[in-house]
Amino acid sequence: MSSTHITTGGYQHAHHYKSAGDEFEASKQGMWLFMVTEVLMFGGLFVAYTMFRAMYPEMFHEASKHLAVNLGLTNTIILITSSLTMVLAVIASQKGQKGRILLHLGLTFLLSCGFLVVKYFEYSGKIHHGILPGGLFTNTEITHPKAPLFFSLYYVMTGIHAFHVIVGMGLMVWLAVRTMRNEFSPAFYTPVELVGFYWHFVDMVWIFLFPLMYLVG
Amino acid sequence: MSDHNEKHQHEGQEHHHFILPERTAVAVGLALLVLTGVTVWVAGIDFGRLNFTIALLIAVVKASLVGLVFMGLKYDRKENGLIFVTSFLFLAIFIALTATDLLFRGDVYVKGPLVAASGKSQFKKPWISTTELVAKGKTLYEQQCVACHGAQGRGDGPAGAGLNPKPRNLTAAEGWKNGHKATGIFKTLTQGLNQMPVFSSLSTDDRWSLTQYVLSMGPAAEKDTAADFAALKIDPTKDDGGAGAGEESKSIPVEVAIDLLAVPEQKAQR
Ligand code: HEC
Repeated sequence: MSSTHITTGGYQHAHHYKSAGDEFEASKQGMWLFMVTEVLMFGGLFVAYTMFRAMYPEMFHEASKHLAVNLGLTNTIILITSSLTMVLAVIASQKGQKGRILLHLGLTFLLSCGFLVVKYFEYSGKIHHGILPGGLFTNTEITHPKAPLFFSLYYVMTGIHAFHVIVGMGLMVWLAVRTMRNEFSPAFYTPVELVGFYWHFVDMVWIFLFPLMYLVG
Repeated sequence: MSDHNEKHQHEGQEHHHFILPERTAVAVGLALLVLTGVTVWVAGIDFGRLNFTIALLIAVVKASLVGLVFMGLKYDRKENGLIFVTSFLFLAIFIALTATDLLFRGDVYVKGPLVAASGKSQFKKPWISTTELVAKGKTLYEQQCVACHGAQGRGDGPAGAGLNPKPRNLTAAEGWKNGHKATGIFKTLTQGLNQMPVFSSLSTDDRWSLTQYVLSMGPAAEKDTAADFAALKIDPTKDDGGAGAGEESKSIPVEVAIDLLAVPEQKAQR
């Protein structure tokens, strides 16, 4: 691996790796393993969703009508666009274009802010109507006695997802700081790529959450 | 391990440091947005149960695009893809195993007790409620019916959740197919009703007790008509009145039959 650009650019890989390429591959595989644990964590929630849906189809039908499809759709568009800007940031880092890394990280960050703002309006609207999870549920328009169950799932699933978005925003700030310190180069951009994975995974989860929660109840 | 590294060296740099063309990234981003539009549009059309499948299929296509292109699985080492996809396999196992348990509990709960039916009644006119009947019925209800009809009789027991139609809400005034009256409920217990299992293996007394307990949970019962009694071959003027013996099931559960037929030696051996 020594003949190509990976070991150039002043980046010194950790001593227990043969080369920077090995190090990159190992980090990446570690990230994939982390993604697996994420799949299984959200997986448990999707299992709960599937089972309760099978048990109370008419309740899911009634309850999901009370979610704001337009807000959910807005957030879907925001998140997909942010995934695109994230890819562009990774590409820029692979090419060593510092200015473009910062531009695209900035755009991704702004889009994430947008996502959270929409989420804020969505949650506060629900709370205003007494649509709260489990025993806190006080809404009277929704008649099915099991409806609080749907909203428990809604809050837990979208809440954990939103938490991932917030973590992702922190990671973007961290990447931007490191970019400004000239720590990344075509020889070393592992953190940018791996945060990219994380961000796409967050997008992926939403790709399932949106139709399942808002559309096909 | 060293073998492995060597192999990768020969495969060349571009293999794992493939740089995605920006045009491809933008094209995939647009495709994802278009597919989002399609999801919303399709959800507006009523395909019944198919809506769920269609939405899921589109989501899988979108997620695959994200995984293959944005996350670069398409250009990555195969083993990384395998690791990731395997997690979904385990998720599928997780869903399947949970479903085989949760959605089929009703099939387990309905097994009746191994008591052969008896036609004689100890109660006089059991179609008229007494505290004794209701108390006896409550005990039986808690053993036999809670799983489907729920502790309060609202039809929300765990085993009934997957049933269609749902177990009756026994506290409601409406929705009764055999009528909200003693003869109607007795008939349901004796003959069953769709997913509502037959309880003819319970004694006549037990079925009347259950009937009275069920009626005690809801609003005032309707009056039984002469025709209702006649249908059950009961003469309501007589004290024991046949007690619905005319409707007694001629069959007994297989396990009971085997037990009754077993020769004494075999019984002794057990
Ligand atoms: C396997 C689940 C299950 C169990 C156990 C069960 N039921 Fe039901 N029951 C049902 C279902 C389902 C219906 C609705 C049937 C329908 O609407 O076609 C029903 C309906 C009824 C009805 C209403 C009939 C009518 O006229 O509409 C009564 C009364 C009733 N059950 C009483 C009982 C009692 C008493 C027991 C216990 C001895 C019991 N059930 C146990 C599932 C169950």
